[in-house]
Amino acid sequence: MSDTTLESTADLVADERARSAEAARRADARRRLLQNAGVLVPFVLVLVVGVAAVPNFASGSNITNVLVNAAILAIVGYGMTLVIAVRGIDLSVGSAQALAACIAAASVNAAGPVVGAVAGIAVGAGLGLVNGLVVTRLRVPGFVATLSTMSVYRGLVLLFTGGAPIMIASAGFKDVATASLVGIPVPFLVAVVLGAGAWFALDRMRFGKHVVAVGGSPEAAVDTGISVSRVVLASYLAAGAAAGVGGVLLASQLGVVNGSVSSGLELQAIAIVVLGGTSMAGGRPRIVGTFVAALLLSMINSGLNLLNVPSFYQYVALGALLVFALSIDGAQRAAVRRMLEGRLS
Amino acid sequence: MTAALQVVDVVQEYPGVRALKGVSLDLEPGQVLGLVGENGAGKSTLIRVLGGIEQPVSGQVLVRGTARTFRSSAESQAAGISVVSQEFRLVPQLSVADNVYLGHELTGAGVVDRGTTRDRTAGLLAQLGLDLDPDRPVSSLTVGDRQMVEIARALSREFDVLIMDEPTAALNGAETTRLHEIVRRIAAQGKAVVYVSHHLDEIFAICDDVAVLRDGALVAHAPTRELDEARLVEHMLGRKPQTFERASAAASTGEKRLEVVGLRVPGVAEPFDLTVRGGEIVGLAGLVGSGRTELTRALFGDLPSAGEIRVDGRSVRLSRPRDAVRAGVFMLSEDRKGEGILPHLDVTENAMVSRDRSGLSLLRRLLPVPSDERAQFSRLRSDMRIRVPHGRQLIGNLSGGNQQKVLLGRALLSGCSVLLLNEPTRGVDVGAKVDIYQLVKQLADAGVAVVVSSSDAPELAAITDRCAVYFAGRRVAELHGRDVTEDNIVGASVGQVAAAAPVGGPTDATPGGPTAEASHV
Repeated sequence: MSDTTLESTADLVADERARSAEAARRADARRRLLQNAGVLVPFVLVLVVGVAAVPNFASGSNITNVLVNAAILAIVGYGMTLVIAVRGIDLSVGSAQALAACIAAASVNAAGPVVGAVAGIAVGAGLGLVNGLVVTRLRVPGFVATLSTMSVYRGLVLLFTGGAPIMIASAGFKDVATASLVGIPVPFLVAVVLGAGAWFALDRMRFGKHVVAVGGSPEAAVDTGISVSRVVLASYLAAGAAAGVGGVLLASQLGVVNGSVSSGLELQAIAIVVLGGTSMAGGRPRIVGTFVAALLLSMINSGLNLLNVPSFYQYVALGALLVFALSIDGAQRAAVRRMLEGRLS
Repeated sequence: MTAALQVVDVVQEYPGVRALKGVSLDLEPGQVLGLVGENGAGKSTLIRVLGGIEQPVSGQVLVRGTARTFRSSAESQAAGISVVSQEFRLVPQLSVADNVYLGHELTGAGVVDRGTTRDRTAGLLAQLGLDLDPDRPVSSLTVGDRQMVEIARALSREFDVLIMDEPTAALNGAETTRLHEIVRRIAAQGKAVVYVSHHLDEIFAICDDVAVLRDGALVAHAPTRELDEARLVEHMLGRKPQTFERASAAASTGEKRLEVVGLRVPGVAEPFDLTVRGGEIVGLAGLVGSGRTELTRALFGDLPSAGEIRVDGRSVRLSRPRDAVRAGVFMLSEDRKGEGILPHLDVTENAMVSRDRSGLSLLRRLLPVPSDERAQFSRLRSDMRIRVPHGRQLIGNLSGGNQQKVLLGRALLSGCSVLLLNEPTRGVDVGAKVDIYQLVKQLADAGVAVVVSSSDAPELAAITDRCAVYFAGRRVAELHGRDVTEDNIVGASVGQVAAAAPVGGPTDATPGGPTAEASHV
């Protein structure tokens, strides 16, 4: 064996490495592009079309309306982002939000706005904890577990309200959703602050690294000594708490709540999370994307309302949006797979 | 001096297998212990026990004289054991720095100190001689770089015992040399190292002592200087390496059924050439990760590949398994439970699922006649000596050997001209093994071209007419006729032939090329 053979082999190996590193970088860039374009292109499109073609779209009251709706949706979406990032899903967010809203409303009437708000958030957190325990302790897959609790929580809220609406008497509580600070609706500010917090926790804190590890490679998480079940439990708990916050804001916005509010919310939440670039395969939470997608969905709903499109079409639009989002997610994963398996030209 | 690590009579069992049969080992501070053994000897199991991933059935692990029970990898790490695992256990979505400090992040009040994390990672990478941006996501790294990141992760922890499970499997020569220097430096600092490798030259280069595992038992433990490669291989095999004389297989004159020219497969360093005639059984040998699994998967259309594949003289394009089956290529996967059997169907349905129906009328294709299928299956059952009471038996309840026979029956009924077998007797007991070998020979005699990819050297020696040995994505030896012996295959797959007499450059490795004079006696 001559040294020259060895050297040329080493060169070949080095070339190969450089080439594959370059290919990997390109695939990564393509994935990022798809991820961002998936939400930004429709966002800009809907915004432009809305302003240009929909009467009253840019009016002050409509903007407030869009922002408040987007805020409530985005807050629930943050929790869903977390759960999906650890390869779970939470179908019970709508029911949990309804129960939180109704208990908050009843508590406001009984003990005042602050107690009401705290009670609503605590109820949401408690329901999220139940979801987390069912998934981690009873080892029920998240999809089935939360499909079941979706029904349980909805039953509980209907039992709690007895089918009758709850009117909120406190004007102070109802003002929260309609009040604004320097021209920006308070719920929207809450959503921005919570979003910033969630982004910081996921991107900069130990907890966020563990979430990505558990969702991206559970085996690696186990090997490095991360408690997978604790991270999963915390994610479901956070999703419940987020639904609770959303429920309190919803109660404030509506002023009257009943047992059937927020039905179908889970689909909207999943749609904005996936549209925002969070991968259904786990390990890639995108809080900012969720926030932008919440605004997008809120604009679409409001645009369709202003155009007097029957609400049935909104279901169609939501479903189509979800399929679109999932196809983008699929394209991203294909890009990653090609990158991992290598490409042959 | 207290031993850094003591393993006392550790027993580990999996359903039906005793993976470790009472292994005891002592490790002094500053010692580098080489751990060797064939695939399935129990090395990885022992490491998983030490790393806290598995809990042994019985036995003790003592760290610095205190008995410890590890219920998780976190507890093992807290006790001062750091493991570089063989599989890649990195999170592709996180950056290099985040991966290195995953599980023991440098934080203040839960917030990751990104500056320090990045700096320390850069320091560790520099120590490993790796020019890599700590902020790059791991998903964009090459396999070799990932391996280095894995090593950097193990070094980033506080440890007294470092366990490295085949750390150089994905590294090139220069990286390997640098890693050896680091191992020596770590040992000089008074830490103990367990070094697992199939590359015997590495063991001799850096290890003070060698422990040999065979079939879950420790069969030798001696200072390296008292051993040479031949003796070590002898311990690994459990007997003296011998030259096995076998009547040269009659030169096959069958039709060329499979021709592969210049097939490039991701993960395999060099283009792949292979010609298999009807009636021939060709073996692909090599360690796990040597590239042979990728080659068979590519031939089955399960991995993207570029190059020329001809089946029965017709050029075919295989971009998915369906194309391969249509072209007459059939594969039995190494993962029989996951990719082979249809567990909720009975044995008849399992055997018939890929049946060649081209000779049947349209009605018969759409509506198979149960009596016809039953008759087919009972013929198959007697031909292949499948031990089932009746054709309605669920395949999931059968033994591994009987499942494999049903799958061979499936291959037979598919009317394939090329059969790819991946680890055909994994999880099959000894008696059924012989049956399966006979069946494979029968299939070959019936004119099928058979390619067997296996990590079981005796198996390849027993059934193949020719055998190509792969090492790190390159063909290092091509054994013919009576050269196809267990010793030659094992010797070549641990890189002995590669070191002694490489078979030309990366592009010069055609079948019928020089036969490696593989021998270590």
